[in-house]
Amino acid sequence: MNNSRNNKHQNMLEKFIYPALPPHLVAIISGIPSDQLAYITEIRLRVNQPLLLVLGNVDIMLSSTGKIVTEGTRAYICSKEDINKALQLMSRNSMYAFEQELKMGFITIHGGHRVGLAGQAIIDDGEIKALKNISSLNIRIAREIQGCGDSVFPYLIASGNRIVSTLLISAPCCGKTTLLRDLIRKISTGNKECRGLQVGVVDERSEIAACKHGIPTVDLGRRTDVLDACPKARGMLMLIRSMSPAVIATDELGRAEDVYAVREALHAGVSVLATVHGRDVQEVLQRPYVGELIQSKYFDRYVVLSDKPRIGTIEQIIDSKQSKVLWSAL
Amino acid sequence: MWLKIIGGVLVIVVSSSIGLQLAARCSGRPKHIRQLVSCLGSLKSYITYACLPLDEALLQCTHGIEGPVADFFHHTAALLQENGVLSPGQAIHTVLEDLQGRLLLQKEELEVLEVLGANLGVMNRHEQGQYLSMIIEQLEKLETEAGRIRDLNTKMYRYLGVCSGLAVVILLL
Repeated sequence: MNNSRNNKHQNMLEKFIYPALPPHLVAIISGIPSDQLAYITEIRLRVNQPLLLVLGNVDIMLSSTGKIVTEGTRAYICSKEDINKALQLMSRNSMYAFEQELKMGFITIHGGHRVGLAGQAIIDDGEIKALKNISSLNIRIAREIQGCGDSVFPYLIASGNRIVSTLLISAPCCGKTTLLRDLIRKISTGNKECRGLQVGVVDERSEIAACKHGIPTVDLGRRTDVLDACPKARGMLMLIRSMSPAVIATDELGRAEDVYAVREALHAGVSVLATVHGRDVQEVLQRPYVGELIQSKYFDRYVVLSDKPRIGTIEQIIDSKQSKVLWSAL
Repeated sequence: MWLKIIGGVLVIVVSSSIGLQLAARCSGRPKHIRQLVSCLGSLKSYITYACLPLDEALLQCTHGIEGPVADFFHHTAALLQENGVLSPGQAIHTVLEDLQGRLLLQKEELEVLEVLGANLGVMNRHEQGQYLSMIIEQLEKLETEAGRIRDLNTKMYRYLGVCSGLAVVILLL
């Protein structure tokens, strides 16, 4: 079981992550034992700082020969050239194709892996026009874990072959998108309790469906339409008008227009499956715009995730209308 | 006697063919520049409108064009796909060296293409579009100049080839 998981992870790294890194960094990273490779969640590159691999809750530094080291002085130090080469590989020499993403501070590479960027912002009329002198990259390795939503799905089914509107809540890197992807697949495919429903996915960051030329590269079920790289708010309204979905799924609500679009969808009789950053419901309640959705109880269920003891742990499933905890690991 | 006649014919044939080749190069240059301009116009659309990655845009922009100019774009795309660490500038430089002799371009056009490679793919869409427009404009100017030279020289090279052959034969006889 572990071997197959390791092999799957190794294949994924070889297919999507290594082609996005300069060859000498690939040689360093691929040198670590395969059982540890399988747990990499992030690869962090910072100019003049050690190359860091994040494995769940811990991070490790590597020497230039690929050995795990504890002292920073013995670690491989990333150069500006490493970052530039990695960006060149990730963008396929086409930075213009990532203009919108760059403004938001990330790009998504093949396989739906998001690469966070930090550098110097260029401001025009108070708006971020672009990022220059990029000095940090955070490659977040997305995982497709089929079946991770098995325990959650039954709580989302309502009478009349309906799915209730659900908000997945967690801090960053706790597996929201992975769970969302699996739930989309389950809703779209259906089971004995709930037959498959038409699902519309607005994949603003190309993370959920990992589309290549507009076609999903991960299994999202048979009844899923994906609007790739489209702003959430506009995408949700477009899907409601054009594709008549029963459920709309999207990632990371946050802006005022996202909240407006969620309201529009819910008032149009479409269920919404979305994710939001926050440690728990109370924390999300304090957030501007999204807090209003919690206050007005627009969602029927809250699913709270955490990374303890491991990434993707379901902490609570809450019925918001009755303020009742349906399931808790706490 | 027969030997002299055969030798004379050979000299005329060789000098004429040299003249014809020079004339072909002269008339081929504006044609290749025109094809380059056409492909770069398409490349600009594929970048600014369709937002295609550079390698794909380079492959797509040659619709309707065949020969060395299409090969220039295809080979550059292939190099970029094979070796992602290579910059567009390096890829273009390599391809221009490989296609030396087949592309009927002069130093001026080659310099423009090298400059194109230096800034390809590193700008935003708007700037990339403006940059390609500037490159196209430069090539159009060179095309006008190449057309003028073609009109002046094509006939001259042809006649010069035949006439110089005849002159050599007369002198030798």
